[in-house]
Amino acid sequence: MKKFLIRIVAYIFLILVVIEVLVRVFHLYTEDPPRFIDKLDVEKRVPGHKGYAVTGNRNQNFSEFNINEAGFNSHREFTPSKVKYEIALIGDSFIEGFHQDYYDSTGKKIEQQLNGVEVYEYGYAGYDLANQLHLMHSYKDEFELIDEIIVYLNYESDLERAEYEPNFGRITMLSSTVFKIRDNIKLLAYGSKIGILEPVKKLITGQGSENTSEDPEPEDEYEITPDMEQEYLENFKNLVRLYGFDKCKTTILLDSRKTSTSFLDYCEANNFKYIDFASKFEDASKPVTLIYDWHWNNHGRELIAECIVDFIKTRKNRDNCN
Amino acid sequence: MLFNSIEFLFFLPLVFGLYWFVFKQNVRVQNIFLIFASYLFYGWWDWRFLLLIFLSTLVDFFVGQRIYKNIDDRKKARYWLWASMAFNIGMLGFFKYSNFFVDSFIDMFHAIGYDIKSTWTLKVILPVGISFYTFQTMSYSFDIYYKKLTPSKNFIAFTAFVSFFPQLVAGPIERASNLLSQIINRRSFSYVQASGGIKLILWGLFKKMVIADSLAPIVDDIFANYGTYPASTLILGVCLFSFQVYGDFSGYSDIAIGTAKLFGIELMSNFKFPNFSRNVAEYWQRWHVSLSTWFRHYLYIPMGGSRVSKAKSVRNIIVIFLVSGFWHGANWTFIFWGGLHALFYIPVFLMGRNRMYANNVVGEKSLFPTPVEILQVLLTFALVTFSRIFFRSPSLTDSFQYMNRIATNFTYEPYAHPMGYRMLDFYILLALFVVYEYLIRKDERNPFKFKSKIVRFLLYTAVILTMLLFFDDGVNRSFIYFQF
Repeated sequence: MKKFLIRIVAYIFLILVVIEVLVRVFHLYTEDPPRFIDKLDVEKRVPGHKGYAVTGNRNQNFSEFNINEAGFNSHREFTPSKVKYEIALIGDSFIEGFHQDYYDSTGKKIEQQLNGVEVYEYGYAGYDLANQLHLMHSYKDEFELIDEIIVYLNYESDLERAEYEPNFGRITMLSSTVFKIRDNIKLLAYGSKIGILEPVKKLITGQGSENTSEDPEPEDEYEITPDMEQEYLENFKNLVRLYGFDKCKTTILLDSRKTSTSFLDYCEANNFKYIDFASKFEDASKPVTLIYDWHWNNHGRELIAECIVDFIKTRKNRDNCN
Repeated sequence: MLFNSIEFLFFLPLVFGLYWFVFKQNVRVQNIFLIFASYLFYGWWDWRFLLLIFLSTLVDFFVGQRIYKNIDDRKKARYWLWASMAFNIGMLGFFKYSNFFVDSFIDMFHAIGYDIKSTWTLKVILPVGISFYTFQTMSYSFDIYYKKLTPSKNFIAFTAFVSFFPQLVAGPIERASNLLSQIINRRSFSYVQASGGIKLILWGLFKKMVIADSLAPIVDDIFANYGTYPASTLILGVCLFSFQVYGDFSGYSDIAIGTAKLFGIELMSNFKFPNFSRNVAEYWQRWHVSLSTWFRHYLYIPMGGSRVSKAKSVRNIIVIFLVSGFWHGANWTFIFWGGLHALFYIPVFLMGRNRMYANNVVGEKSLFPTPVEILQVLLTFALVTFSRIFFRSPSLTDSFQYMNRIATNFTYEPYAHPMGYRMLDFYILLALFVVYEYLIRKDERNPFKFKSKIVRFLLYTAVILTMLLFFDDGVNRSFIYFQF
């Protein structure tokens, strides 16, 4: 029995070591550059990190990221000035773009179509409208020099709060020993990414055993009730009141298929401009999202870039924007 | 509790530790602990059905004594045997087949012009593994009746025999002569046996998690949307289902046999590389062996087997396959599946080739199979796979439409994975799997039988890494044969 137990433990240890090496050699794990909250309470990435974001068990989507001095994933540094024409693109993981090489991002695609324009991508996974407007408000001086601001609004999840509160808890959690261990043992990072550790997490957090029935009940589709619509609108109004919204140069990028009519009506009635990419996506001949993920793929990003470029080119007179 | 669940990952070492370190001294206490562990294992699904297992145990324990007491009075003994069968088949009939009979009855009347409202259909939940443990307990009564066994007086050991958790829900369907005798006697720990068990568990998990679970979404997609796919995809779908069901069920059996080994108990082999069978008869000597032999011993031979006239033997073969099909599920598709296998089997039987490959494997004396063997294996695989259209389809109409679409829409189009994965990965995986299974084809109980420790270590590592590479969190991980 002693021999059996010793050998089992030794084999498990050696196998895990070899798999750890293989996971590193074939870069099966994904990297998540560290996050922090700066002195203006803006949550972003620690500058200067380069690496690769990986999606899928078998390295199916492999892309390089580059965190610039401003703390965002971008191919360029953000140096706004009065002499250049700059566009700021603000949003969540869709704008942060860890699913495509940083040198082939949406911003880069816009720059390629608009000569002499610099696009600054202020993307950060988890940003909602409160984060975004607070960011613009905090970096007011910088944003005053930027000529166009495009704010990506995912209506279903970005209007759930009326005021920005920095999430110190999340930053503390991510820098805790448990997460540091996870990030340093690549096999754990890989296991966590592919979901094999999910049952362990559930067991530890007491979420019960998995469903083993033949036909698990489908999850309810997310539905926004009229009360929620009203709440979202009030949140929007409050955020605009708290942090400001320069209607002359700020435009919302949204998908009208996922946005309530009442919100769109409010925007139109109050002169909040928006770019709607719904029709472009609907008419797309190829898939617009990744196979293993719901984020935009290269074609999706091309269409988003096209929408923004078309909007900039046909930009109406900025007078009368308030 | 599923073998491939996180609960089992904690359950098994805990039960193993307590079994060998705490309850080792007394076999009776060890068996009581096994019963407790087995009931916990089963009750994890639905504790209410524990009562059924207990009732089945109680009835057959008592009936076994009665049969033995009247063993010289064959008439009385037969009555008691019938009592056991009535109880077990009655329980099976109620839980598994009641709705089938009601629906078939309604359909029959509908066909002759009478509409009956189906208010009789009951909302009966099928208890997991009922077909397995009822057959196991019935075999005990049969063996006593046929004087192959003396009944046990040890109720605790008998309860542990019926409920032994590794094989409780999906077999192998054990005989009392093999399992009960091991449970009654004191077990001692053996390093060779336990390490063999761990290897079988690992290989079984690989077959389940990698082969079966990764093919499941493809098979589900093709069978759910067969009306939209060309023949090439439909053929692919049923071929992949063949591998899926094999990986799923033989994987379960390997884990069951491996787990039992950890407790010092040897279960019978259930799968002996059926995909390398050279005719359908050999296939049935290699696929779900515990069920095939059950039907052979307790149905085919009592009916006369092959010792009667050819016509009666053919009748017996048809009966055994139809019953075997019906055992799998309360659906006409399974009866057709069984009937089809009877049709495949009868020519082999009439040519006297049904026992031809009973004691050897393909490529018995050489590394590579002969061209004739390759053709035989491919033909057998094609026949068995064809029959699986009935096995997998939800209804007979779907089965025939599936086949009709293959025949009438005989075109080729590359198939795209429903979740977007690269199909080439799966083809490579299956090719490697088939080659590896061929290499180990002579010993189903030792899947890592290589002399070099380094080769074995690399294989363990490769198997675990492949499990990670093909793991899919979204797949329903329950076993196909749990529904039977």
